Amino acid sequence: MKTLLKTSTAAIALALAGNAVADVNVAYFLEWATPNQIAKVEKAYDDAMGETVNWTNFGTGVGMTEAMLSGDIDISYSQGLTPFANAVNANAPIKMIAIAVAYGAADDCVVRNDAGITKANASELEGQAVAVPLNTMADFGFRMTMTNLGVDISQLTIVDQEPADAAVSLADGAVVMACGYGANSLAKMKEVGTPMLTPAEKAAAGISSFDIISVTQSFAQEHPDLVRTFVEVTSEANAAWAADQSKLSVIAKDAGMSEDATTAQMAGFVFPTVAEQKRDYFGKDGIARSMVAFMGNMFATSDAPALADYNVTIDTSFLD
Amino acid sequence: MSDFLFEQRNTIVAFLIIGLLVSLALSIIKGRRVMATERTDLVFGNPAKALGGWYWIVTGMSFVMLIWFYFSWDMARAYNPTAANELCQVAKVETAINPMRSQFPLDNPNLRGTDLIARDSAQLERINNSLKTFALDYEAELEIAAILTSLSSALVDQANPAYIKDDLVGEFKSIASRIDHLTTSFKDPDFPGQPTAVQQAAANAQPGWGDTGKEIPVLPATPLGYRYAAVAAEMKVIAKDFVQLRNTNPHLLAQIADIKLRIKKAAASAEADLSLSAVEQEDRSTLYRQLNKMLKRIDNGSIYPPNSLNGVQSSLVAFDQAHSDQQGYLKTFDTWIMPGGRIMAGNSACSEQGSGRWLPKPSDTLGTLARIANPDIGFKDVPLLWYRWQPVGGMIAFLFPDWLASLVPGEYTRHNQDGKINSNFKSKVQDFVTGNYDSFSIPVPMGHMWDSIVRVVIGLFFGIVLGVPLGLFMGLSRFAKGFFDPMIELYRPVPPLAWAPLILTIFGIQDDGKIFLLFMVAFAIMVISARTGATGTQLSKIHAAHSLGASHRQILRRVIFPNSLPEILTGIRIAIGVCWGTLVAAEMLAGTTGIGFVENVARKQSDYEVIWVTIIILGVLGLMFDLIMRSVIKRTIPWRGKG
Repeated sequence: MKTLLKTSTAAIALALAGNAVADVNVAYFLEWATPNQIAKVEKAYDDAMGETVNWTNFGTGVGMTEAMLSGDIDISYSQGLTPFANAVNANAPIKMIAIAVAYGAADDCVVRNDAGITKANASELEGQAVAVPLNTMADFGFRMTMTNLGVDISQLTIVDQEPADAAVSLADGAVVMACGYGANSLAKMKEVGTPMLTPAEKAAAGISSFDIISVTQSFAQEHPDLVRTFVEVTSEANAAWAADQSKLSVIAKDAGMSEDATTAQMAGFVFPTVAEQKRDYFGKDGIARSMVAFMGNMFATSDAPALADYNVTIDTSFLD
Repeated sequence: MSDFLFEQRNTIVAFLIIGLLVSLALSIIKGRRVMATERTDLVFGNPAKALGGWYWIVTGMSFVMLIWFYFSWDMARAYNPTAANELCQVAKVETAINPMRSQFPLDNPNLRGTDLIARDSAQLERINNSLKTFALDYEAELEIAAILTSLSSALVDQANPAYIKDDLVGEFKSIASRIDHLTTSFKDPDFPGQPTAVQQAAANAQPGWGDTGKEIPVLPATPLGYRYAAVAAEMKVIAKDFVQLRNTNPHLLAQIADIKLRIKKAAASAEADLSLSAVEQEDRSTLYRQLNKMLKRIDNGSIYPPNSLNGVQSSLVAFDQAHSDQQGYLKTFDTWIMPGGRIMAGNSACSEQGSGRWLPKPSDTLGTLARIANPDIGFKDVPLLWYRWQPVGGMIAFLFPDWLASLVPGEYTRHNQDGKINSNFKSKVQDFVTGNYDSFSIPVPMGHMWDSIVRVVIGLFFGIVLGVPLGLFMGLSRFAKGFFDPMIELYRPVPPLAWAPLILTIFGIQDDGKIFLLFMVAFAIMVISARTGATGTQLSKIHAAHSLGASHRQILRRVIFPNSLPEILTGIRIAIGVCWGTLVAAEMLAGTTGIGFVENVARKQSDYEVIWVTIIILGVLGLMFDLIMRSVIKRTIPWRGKG
């Protein structure tokens, strides 16, 4: 009996250890169409890494952070910059290694048509209720928009709602403006309202958004080859997509969207190449470096104050 | 005052822990004594045995608090405030050595090279086995099989000591001797010499453990810390040099170049071959792509002959030993006083990982509570519990429906040419019914806690007021039971969160939706418990009342209702608990204020201190409501269980 117990304990320990070493655990979003989903479906990651890659979908970037901290996720693909900045403010040992996707039009603030408020008289928003998913990329876009239009945010009644709920509140007239992301929710919002700013105006106001690839620090240290391969396969998939878009149905199926919705969503996406990332995003004063610092300061609290230098949270060595 | 307490919190906690230990011991002694005397006079099963017993409450509370102090590392901080800083330096060494260490069978069962050979061979094998599933002609298959064999030999030959370059062997030796040298310095108590004035000034200037959100001071501040930090800095360089080494011997390079050429040639010839169908073309390009990927992995040169790393490994083992020995008391302290996790050196700062991360220290949690309880700070600009002056007019406006103003004949007023607004009777009525007039102000409570309490109380109130009569009715009438039972039983088991999307579109984002959600929860529980109470009334009591000439109403009021009170009151207690449980979900719907809202926002910022503050507030509020209910039960049905 004793030996049986011993062997079974050893077997369990071995199985656990085997799991921990062998598999690469990656977090991603549903309804977020990216070319690397072709590589994911075709097992190009598994082939290139020689390891089993487990993909787990998440609803929020915060969830990704939590899973990375508990050790269940090694790599987060397309984590939002806001949850990342909040995580590093809270001393989470994770690093930004690359840009997943840049998008201009993916999050928006939509004003009800009958409110009669446009960017010309945006200050009339003061005293009214607006729905914002707090501490997300949409929150960042909202704050930037309001600052840009000279609206005093402290005068607004901010309601913390997920985009799907915010769309309902906007349609019911419970709020005059709703900010959110996601193709379905935004489409519902635009049924009853108009975006506050056009994509061009948003770009001019400095509202550019991008999602990143982040890894846990220990995984980056122990398996730099796997991380590098992950970035490589991703950029290969992006390049293949840029050349040939015939595999749209694969992406649509994996993202759980219709092909039309996928096309529409991906039209707003830019997948920067490694060279572009190194030049535009991670160069000196690059977009990624300045944005993460900006956002880290914006969302700093007294318990999670801003870092003195956000460059330490970025590791570009996997792009080479 | 609170600043003083914050600065002295380590001392306070230190005394508090001693106090808790003493009270734990004393209360256990007291409890055991009382138990010893009672053993004879009460039989087992007598509920009176569970009455009283404050000393066991003290024991339980002390135990919980001690566990909290222990696992949140507040105890560690109270007795050794510099421990975290020193362990941070230790962690720096671990972080520095990690890239190199992970290649050796020190934490993992296998050498990295062994894993790589096993992994890559298995994959070559897999490709070889899959060749049959591709549309290939005989020659192509032969060529691909040959390439696979070459790949396999390129992989295996890396392990052959005959091919390794002499200067790589020299590099390994130099790495090993550098590690050995560092190990010697490690053991030298004077290494790296006295800290410079700049270093000392910087170390003294940094805040203490947990003084700010940055948690752990990162610069070394003790002799041990200086030594570890210096070793970590050197180790980082050594590890970096090591991981850059590659087994790129001429033999391997020649093999790689040859295979590369052959794959390229085969791919080119396949592409040029117009006789191939589209499927065949596709298959071949997939295969060649796979071969290229394998080649890219094998040409990494990260596999070495099995014994070539022995020197580095034994140096590392010696270094590990020194690393462990030199920690001295700190290692014991880390293991026993800081359980459930460790300190990790991160990007820019050291952080607590494990229970120290998600279980904030009681003293810090109290500090956070004190901070957000300050009405000037609050959470998201709303205080936890405070008051504000509010005009009475606005508060009683709900008594007068707004359409009263529309009934008054005439038009609403407009501004005139001077930009002035002259009110008329109709607009005055409108101002009155909407509360828009000057009236005296009274202080009204407000804030996150107040909003939550109001929601729970209103939801409970309506749940009780509507649920109890319906439950009694269902217990007494066949029609009511048959008619309402399916409805209530169908909606009751559905979790409240499942209703959330509907509630939102029906009621909007104001309080009514949240209250309705709580009402639904309370209502079902109250109906069930009132019904159980009504049906549980002893028939003999009803018969007795009836034969004494009681009317239906009297029987209901004097016999059935009192008899179902125990069930109803228990139902209320359960409903209170469930309502507080549902509150977080209700306030997630559309968060503006409330304890649940605070928790939802704090979660997104990984702010565990605020999360624990909300958990404690919810727990204390729930407890308070429950204590009130207990006293109500004691007063109204003291006869329960004695009939």
